[in-house]
Amino acid sequence: MRGLTAALEWQSRAVVGRHLRVYLKNWHTSFLPPVLEPITLLLAFGLGLGAYMSSGIEWNGRLVGYINFVAPGMLAYATFMTAIFQSLFGAFIRMRYQRTWEGQLTTQIELRHVVWGEILWAGLLTTSYVAIVSLVLSGCQALGVLQLRLEYLPLVIPIVFVAACAFAALGLCFTALVPTIDHMNLPIFLVVLPVGFVSATYFPLGHPVLAAISTANPLYHLAEGLRGLLLGDRAGYHLAGLAGLLAVMLVILVPLDMRLLRKRVLGD
Amino acid sequence: MAGMPPLLEARALVKRLGGRLVVDGVDLVCHAGQVLGLLGPNGAGKTTTLRMLYGFLSADAGAIRFEGADVSRDLNRFKRQLGVCTQEDTFDGDFTVRQNLEVAAGYFRPRPPEVRRRVDELLERFALATYAGDKPEALSGGFRRRLMIARALVHRPRLLFLDEPTTGLDPQARVAVWDLVNGLRAEGLGIVLTTHYMDEAERLSDALTVLAQGKVVAHGTPKSVLGDMLGEHVVVLEADGATMPAVAAWLGTRGLGEPLAVLGVWHLPLSGEQLADFARSFPALRYEVRPPNLDDLFLKLALPCAG
Ligand SMILES: Nc1ncnc2c1ncn2[C@@H]1O[C@H](COP(=O)(O)OP(=O)(O)OP(=O)(O)O)[C@@H](O)[C@H]1O
Ligand SMILES: [Mg+2]
Repeated sequence: MRGLTAALEWQSRAVVGRHLRVYLKNWHTSFLPPVLEPITLLLAFGLGLGAYMSSGIEWNGRLVGYINFVAPGMLAYATFMTAIFQSLFGAFIRMRYQRTWEGQLTTQIELRHVVWGEILWAGLLTTSYVAIVSLVLSGCQALGVLQLRLEYLPLVIPIVFVAACAFAALGLCFTALVPTIDHMNLPIFLVVLPVGFVSATYFPLGHPVLAAISTANPLYHLAEGLRGLLLGDRAGYHLAGLAGLLAVMLVILVPLDMRLLRKRVLGD
Repeated sequence: MAGMPPLLEARALVKRLGGRLVVDGVDLVCHAGQVLGLLGPNGAGKTTTLRMLYGFLSADAGAIRFEGADVSRDLNRFKRQLGVCTQEDTFDGDFTVRQNLEVAAGYFRPRPPEVRRRVDELLERFALATYAGDKPEALSGGFRRRLMIARALVHRPRLLFLDEPTTGLDPQARVAVWDLVNGLRAEGLGIVLTTHYMDEAERLSDALTVLAQGKVVAHGTPKSVLGDMLGEHVVVLEADGATMPAVAAWLGTRGLGEPLAVLGVWHLPLSGEQLADFARSFPALRYEVRPPNLDDLFLKLALPCAG
């Protein structure tokens, strides 16, 4: 319980502040990916691949333009990938190579704050990333490329934040377990990439087995929930499923992260 | 001082790591304005003891008191009073020298007052001002240590932990660190430092606690520790084939254990009476007598079968 409430203590904010300060030092390079990635993806998937599906794609029993199908999926995919990669590589490098954590732990910062600092930072970074992607999407809509319910975008932001925190908590488990940075390939190719694509992010899950598995997949519910919000269908069901799964993830994974990292960082 | 509780007091600290008893009932005391030297061979448990003292590891058993109050009641408040310089450099590689100090100050509440001025003052005092805009990894070993110590002081702690502050430094850099430690002691800080260097421990420490295999084997002023552990004199003689068996037998019959052998030279720590006895027993032998130093103590501790 103490581990969970530590999210609200000043030390966790101090750690987030440290990460923010580093990020802002390199802001010009940090802003490039969230602007360029969605443009590239919209061009490649939406206009490129979408050209082969001129009649659109069937979703919840109706036809939607493929580019409109992909745009919300892209937000979900970006949420997952940004949060996971931040908690895998960013955190691993701070733990292993920079010894930043050990330095922080000689102050009033405790391990539980280091863990929450990483999770909340991943959440914040991901949210800012998705906010920028959302602006790009709004620009595309203004150009007439997209037809989304943009008035629901403000709702997307808090959902993305909580989801990113839960995904980061998952990433930190891998960080605590992989022996070297080269071993990161294992979780990435075995878990992260398969989940990233087989979650109705870029294409619908037609196969009944995939669809059945997806009910327990938070990224699937995120993608379909955001799609529901922005296209206007069945958002409630998926967002409720998402909320339940994220809560379970946070309650189980955060204490697990703390335990694994205690072993790893403190040797205790 | 009478009646005042010491700044830091630890009783019967125990820590098991990886199934091994690494610290086994350590007691120690450090007063304000004093340097406590924690001495011991590699693996004695010095770093583990410090880590428990500054709250990085939790002790399996034992108590730690700060000015008489159990620190586990309010660990966070206790940690506000501590400055820690770890054995390994633990800078934040994403920041410059100056930013490292500023960022560290942000990890304390109540916030250190006038952080900018404090950082300038520390950069000046530790001769780091010219490197303020550089990354820590660009510094030489001596200046990295200085930065580590400066960072530990940014929030004006009252108790400072220095884990091997001079290991790997050249003589000049070591003396510079000693001067800094002396100055901090004069300002009234309590300082707990670990070291492998005998001269450093002798010169800097007001009190010594000697650890071996997780246990305190001696405690007191550097002089009294040497007296307790080694006796008053050390006889130094060339260990040639003719005399070795006789001297070894002499040591054996008196229960003095194995001699300390270094590069073919034996060092025998003896009390006054034992020295007189030795002189009577070996009237024809050529040897030197000198006062004991911490090197002898260390050799004795490091010897697996030392008496
Ligand atoms: N996390 C750990 N797991 C298992 N054993 C450990 C762990 N940390 C330390 N040890 C062991 O505990 C013993 C004491 O280690 P410690 O680092 O406290 O010694 P030290 O006196 O600081 O040594 P040095 O002079 O080399 O720094 C060593 O034998 C070490 O191998
Ligand atoms: Mg050590």
